[in-house]
Amino acid sequence: MKALFQKTPRWILVVLGLAIFGLARASFEDRMREEMVASSLLLPPPARDAIQQMSQSALMGTLGGLRTLVSSYLVLEAFGHFSNKEWEDLRRSYAIITSLEPRDENHWRDVVWHLGINATANMEIDESIPEFERKRRFNEYALLAVDLAEQGIEQNPESSIIRQQLAEVYREKLKDYCATARVYKELVDLPGAPQYSDRFVGYFLAKCPGREREAYDHLRRLYYEGEYNHTASLIVEIKNLEEKFDILPALRIPDPYPDLPGPAPRQP
Amino acid sequence: MSEPAVEVSNLTKVFSTGLSKNYVVAVDNLSFEVAAGEVYGLIGPNGSGKSTTMKVVLGLMAASKGSAKVFGYESGDIRARNEIGFLPENPYFYKHLSGEETLKFYGKLCGLKGSELKDRIAELLKLVDLEGAAKRRLGGYSKGMLQRIGLAQTLIQNPRLVILDEPTAGVDPVGSRQIRDLILKLKEDGYTVFLCSHLLEQVQEVCDRVGIIFKGRMRREGTLDELIRIESQTAMTLENASPELISKIHDLISSDDAAKVIEEGHPRTTLERLFIQIADQNRKEESA
Amino acid sequence: MSESTTTLRAPAREVPLFSIRRVWTLAISTLTQLVRMKTFYFLFAFAVLLLAIGNFNFASSPAQALSTVKKVSFGAMDLFAWLFAIVATALLIPRDLEDRTLYTILSKPVRRIEYLLGKLCGVLIVIGISLSVMFVVCAGMIQWKEAGYIAEEIGTTENQITEETRQAILLIQKNGFHPELAIATLASFMKAAVVASVTILLSTFASSSLFTIIISVLVFLVGHAHTMATNFWLAESDNSIVVQMLLKLFKIVIPNFQIFSFSEGIVQGATVMPAAIWQMAGLTGAYLVVFMLLSLLTFVDKEF
Repeated sequence: MKALFQKTPRWILVVLGLAIFGLARASFEDRMREEMVASSLLLPPPARDAIQQMSQSALMGTLGGLRTLVSSYLVLEAFGHFSNKEWEDLRRSYAIITSLEPRDENHWRDVVWHLGINATANMEIDESIPEFERKRRFNEYALLAVDLAEQGIEQNPESSIIRQQLAEVYREKLKDYCATARVYKELVDLPGAPQYSDRFVGYFLAKCPGREREAYDHLRRLYYEGEYNHTASLIVEIKNLEEKFDILPALRIPDPYPDLPGPAPRQP
Repeated sequence: MSEPAVEVSNLTKVFSTGLSKNYVVAVDNLSFEVAAGEVYGLIGPNGSGKSTTMKVVLGLMAASKGSAKVFGYESGDIRARNEIGFLPENPYFYKHLSGEETLKFYGKLCGLKGSELKDRIAELLKLVDLEGAAKRRLGGYSKGMLQRIGLAQTLIQNPRLVILDEPTAGVDPVGSRQIRDLILKLKEDGYTVFLCSHLLEQVQEVCDRVGIIFKGRMRREGTLDELIRIESQTAMTLENASPELISKIHDLISSDDAAKVIEEGHPRTTLERLFIQIADQNRKEESA
Repeated sequence: MSESTTTLRAPAREVPLFSIRRVWTLAISTLTQLVRMKTFYFLFAFAVLLLAIGNFNFASSPAQALSTVKKVSFGAMDLFAWLFAIVATALLIPRDLEDRTLYTILSKPVRRIEYLLGKLCGVLIVIGISLSVMFVVCAGMIQWKEAGYIAEEIGTTENQITEETRQAILLIQKNGFHPELAIATLASFMKAAVVASVTILLSTFASSSLFTIIISVLVFLVGHAHTMATNFWLAESDNSIVVQMLLKLFKIVIPNFQIFSFSEGIVQGATVMPAAIWQMAGLTGAYLVVFMLLSLLTFVDKEF
């Protein structure tokens, strides 16, 4: 046995040792990887599309465990595209960034903000582009922002900042108040959600055709929940809805300004 | 009879060359002993197998056949190395360390610590005359100084056997003499010294016994006295002898009262001449 | 030579067959060597990088800026750790051999495993010190930036902290400094330790430092492709049996460096599971033991 050991080339013994150790650790490492991916300690491999779009150096860096450095560099590059209003390039950069770090909600929030707010705003004012093209691109970027926000939410189900950004796109750009109300409703119970979210659900339901009654019930419930909800906007909105539905005076909420003529409804 | 310091028995070392099945026999069935307390010199030309033999004794290489023991321990044994102080040819130590730090490093490797280590370092720095350069980094040492700090390093753990590989290679005559004197001092202090060299004059000056190795084989071995004696000749040393007297020396020696024989014996050649003679012989054998 | 009448020297004191003190002596010597090679100058470069990234105003929000500072600095720490582990380990042993320092060390009562362990520990001590210093610098920088952003947010509200300000501050704090970042540093250290042990194994085979460095970097990069290999290549139905076999061989022979990249997750705010950290520490230990034993297998018979 000793003679056989001494006669066997060392590299064969080393490969054998590596293989035995490899077999012993394989299942443990697979289990560890799954557990760590599930708890977000490890990132899943980048999507195939992203790999195909990456430059060789970025790919090498990504493979070499330098994902965060590569993505930080790409964020820097994307900021350059934003400054130069190169929206298509920015979109491509973020496709890789979000694929490299899908669990970083900041990236999703940023790309939704860049495309949904900045790119659409640029399309509203950039006169170097024909109007019909601007309108087409405005819609394209706004819808793309919505799509990206949904992807980001899928990756980060607890994220409030992506939803806040999405709500802004629906509210300010697409003027889709029903969708805005839906997003604020999703936000309500999430950690880090702004306290106004629940009130905003009511404000935008009030603007969503056919759901005004639901809005009234919702806002009224909030009103009676506590004084901290007695904001001017909430009271004005309830008053408007009371008028609209011709609510009996006994059922109306107290008028905080009885001597003043009815305040004009305020945009939230 | 005490245990030999080094005992090399039928040592053979074969190297394979590259991926082919060619082999080079560096040491061929070599046997010799170094007695405790003696200075033994292994001499031979470059490539004769001296360094390989030394490395096997040190455990830096394994024997293909045969064995090498140091004070009874197999050469690869850590206890064998514990008895050895080794100075390689042209030693390089960590250049970033000072002389003192170098000795401290090797001392710690040998298990010394505290005041014992401190005292030993001071003692050795004095022995090799480097007290003044103790704090200087080795990067700034001359070759002779490096050789001396190397020698101090070999002695740090008070080994019984000191192995020196070409101890004076590349050292100037003054440094060379200092090292030779140190070897003699080591002998006086009871160390066993086993050295390899091709500087025959120095070997002749310091060694008690010499082995001459060629192509991995021991060609001659013995005390210096045995090796350099010319058996076929007789020499006389005369005092107050006239030139005429020298020519008739044997006839007149008994009748001339003024002249007397001071010494009669075998004249000596030099080790160098013997070495060249063996080399020539070796060459003739090979060409035959 | 005349016969001397001197007393022979006494046998040497017994030495332990294995000694932690000898390993420690070699480790400290390696540390001194690396320090005097001015390795720690890298820390200045790191501080400059940190200052530059901290003052580079490209982020869309303070939270994003903090997140970027964190990612770049911890990414740079991770990069330093594994790259240094490869280069230092690959240089040290061949250098000792070239300088023949190895002869004098191994001819002392030092075991070869002690030598290998000493070198590994020396490299790991340098990496440990560097990572600790970088962590402290990073933590200081992030906390300083975080405090600055929070003060800015409060400053804009004119003495009344609104709901929006509170939200903004929470977001800044979420992306700011957390003590868990120390675990991210530990993760980088674990990865570097495994890389160093792999490099030591390679350097016991290799004939030059350059070869060791190139192969080690290659193994390291390829070691990050485990999941990709499994997901993409093994899943392809048109792969031949040979390709499938080769991929399986790759999976068991090449260390899985991907699972050691969990510092990225921590930096991005993932919750640290203590059990996972202990398990990863155990796996790191297993890698070190196995790779050191395999290195010894080659090194023990290596002839100098």
